[in-house]
Amino acid sequence: MSETSGAILKLEDVHAGYEGPDVLHGITLDVPRGQIVTVVGPNGHGKSTLLRTISGLTSLRRGEVTLAGHKLSGLRPERIAALGLAHVPQGDLLFPEMTVYENLQMGAYLSRDARQFDRLLEEVYALLPRLKERHGQIASSLSGGERRMVGIGRGLMAGAEVLMLDEPSLGLAPLVIDQIYEVIGALREQGRTILLVEENPARVAHLSDTMHLLDDGRLAWSGAPADLLEREELLETYLGG
Amino acid sequence: MDILVAILAAGLTNGALYALATIGLSLVWGSMGMLNMAHGAMLTLGGYAVYTVATSMGLPVWLAVIVAAGVGAVAGAVLYMAVVRSLLHSAGKNFETSVMIATVGIAIALQNALLLFYGGQPLAQPFGVSGMISIGNSVVPMLNFVIILVSVAVMAALALLIGRTRMGRAIRATAQNRQAALLMGVPVERIYLQVLALSGAVSGICGVLVSSVTQLSPTLGADPMLKAFIMCVVAGLGNLPGAVAAAFGLALIEAIVQFTMGARWGFPVLLMLVIAILIWRPNGLFGRAQIRRM
Repeated sequence: MSETSGAILKLEDVHAGYEGPDVLHGITLDVPRGQIVTVVGPNGHGKSTLLRTISGLTSLRRGEVTLAGHKLSGLRPERIAALGLAHVPQGDLLFPEMTVYENLQMGAYLSRDARQFDRLLEEVYALLPRLKERHGQIASSLSGGERRMVGIGRGLMAGAEVLMLDEPSLGLAPLVIDQIYEVIGALREQGRTILLVEENPARVAHLSDTMHLLDDGRLAWSGAPADLLEREELLETYLGG
Repeated sequence: MDILVAILAAGLTNGALYALATIGLSLVWGSMGMLNMAHGAMLTLGGYAVYTVATSMGLPVWLAVIVAAGVGAVAGAVLYMAVVRSLLHSAGKNFETSVMIATVGIAIALQNALLLFYGGQPLAQPFGVSGMISIGNSVVPMLNFVIILVSVAVMAALALLIGRTRMGRAIRATAQNRQAALLMGVPVERIYLQVLALSGAVSGICGVLVSSVTQLSPTLGADPMLKAFIMCVVAGLGNLPGAVAAAFGLALIEAIVQFTMGARWGFPVLLMLVIAILIWRPNGLFGRAQIRRM
């Protein structure tokens, strides 16, 4: 795929993996500023590994990731976060014994600006009013949907330039999934830059500017979301229809 | 009434010492999953550091506490930089076992170094608190009150630090979910360094307090280490408030047994009680199936 001018996050020929062979094989993609780029694909084909590689949790073996011109290879996750990347991982990864408010405070860990914190908190509470109602509640006692909202809210508290969301709808009830995607829709309206990972392209097509299909660690297709939905043979082959 | 005062004085003083020894161990265990077997040796080091400074210049209590805390913190930081950091990188899934064995070695080395330097003869801690306080017909040494006050002050300061500060939040976050903490930008390795330094500082203070009621010897830390380990397990691994409650509770029970059945029964009864508690609640009194950390 050719580079898009104004891309804030760029991946070039990214190879990555855990202890064994590579999981990602030469991924190249751009995330332009103010757009939502979505990576779809079957389970276990490297979607989460892709986000983990960008945020430094998984080792980049070859290739390069740049964020706003900064090369990320070799940087530790905390340094990458400081450069303006917020990663909301799959399965929440909240701080279970902390309150909702403390989790949000941790989202803003890198900022020492009290006024910025107050502003971000206000924005998060406006977007996710349930968090304001639950601000003193211990995270482990929340419902699955509420925990997911805390995860997203915590990611937003970083005030990062790029937000990465890893399957935010995973394991949630249909009604709650709709709420989560309403929130992502509101973020789109705000012009946020988001790299979204999802299993089901139909759910997120209306939210996405560009869509990539990841299969066995390789990009099998890239283009406009509407085009992917029309490619029945692709959906059948890679996503089981 | 006299017996009650004696039991309370002994139970609360020992409870304060046990609690102080336990929170240092529990803090490291809860944050890093690391059983620091050199904890007792670091405690001993604090006692000897104060002895060394006090014999050369004389020390008021507050300064002794600061010296002990400082030396303990440095010892904790050196332990991290020299050993733990490397093991975190190299040992992988075997970290818990590797670090336990490594710290046993460090404890033995430190103990022998103190033996070589100061000799095997027990030494009297030169700083002390004289005077007695009368309660009814009983008298309680002023030192007991100082031990309880200093211990409570240290525990309160640690609770404030862990519960209310940015650094404390980062420590709790790292303990609860290391990967999430990294994603929030928390410098996890620096947090580990801070945790070991904090634990070392608390052990150092504990060492000077313990040596003020007993005597200094290279094996001074062995008994508090054993008791701290027991309290940690009884409370539930890594549970700081639980560890403090267990320390005071068990120390009071030990004191009651010692006064009613004889001193030699204190520890055996304590151990039997611990075994019963662990059969009843395998994850500790305040523990859950999964470790609740801080």
